Amino acid sequence: MIPLSWYLLLSATLFSIGLIGFVIRRDLIVMLMCLEIMFNAVNIAFASFSYYNSNLTGQIFVLFSIAVAACEAVIGLAIVLALVRNTGINHSDEIVNLRG
Amino acid sequence: MNPLIEQVFYVYFFISLTILSIAVIASKNIIHSAFFLLIFLLHVAAIFLFLNAEFLMIIQIIVYVGGVLALFIFAIMIMNIKEEFRHKRFVKFSIAGLITGFLFLAGLYIFLGTVKSPENVLIKSDVNSLGKLLYSYYFLPFEILSLVLLIAMVGGIIIAKKTPFDREGK
Repeated sequence: MIPLSWYLLLSATLFSIGLIGFVIRRDLIVMLMCLEIMFNAVNIAFASFSYYNSNLTGQIFVLFSIAVAACEAVIGLAIVLALVRNTGINHSDEIVNLRG
Repeated sequence: MNPLIEQVFYVYFFISLTILSIAVIASKNIIHSAFFLLIFLLHVAAIFLFLNAEFLMIIQIIVYVGGVLALFIFAIMIMNIKEEFRHKRFVKFSIAGLITGFLFLAGLYIFLGTVKSPENVLIKSDVNSLGKLLYSYYFLPFEILSLVLLIAMVGGIIIAKKTPFDREGK
């Protein structure tokens, strides 16, 4: 039987790796992938709380989180596609139109 | 199941999930990181199977691996990205990002060291009771979620549509 803290440590590790990747990369698509990693870490935490409290609410919140992550991927990829198509820019350091 | 075998499998999944998520953010080619993300999502589905959540495993495989990863790979293929070799991969202050992430991780480890696991665990989860809960108590968030999905679909189509560059009032 695996204790609860192991799953929480796994979730914390994956969330930190996703956070580091979101900060130190400059590709827009890799930043979206790091967002997916962070969503999955939080989903593991929700599912483990659902398991150890013998309650199904955590699994329903994982369902909602997966749907919101799908929406975020669709909108983010559409915005990146519009940026690449109109300006040819793929890196977050080069988007300087609003800098004035 | 024998608890030793269970813990051995858990340690395998911990190590492989960590290595795969590091490989996503460290690989040079962007299509390689997409495929590392695919294997990562399949391992997360296996972790859901550990937690007696079979329905979530199916949803994870169908939605993430079948939907979101296909979307990522199609977007990478459409954009035809070759600019990765012109630029540096990491930003200038990436050391600061690493230090921030490790401080966050250390704080979470200190906080999570005192967690006690309760005795009564979820014995088995059937889709029947999950659907009853979803359609009775969480019915309004479910409907709002359907509206959010519809708006995201329409907005994605409108944003990504190829617009004519110069209109008539020029």
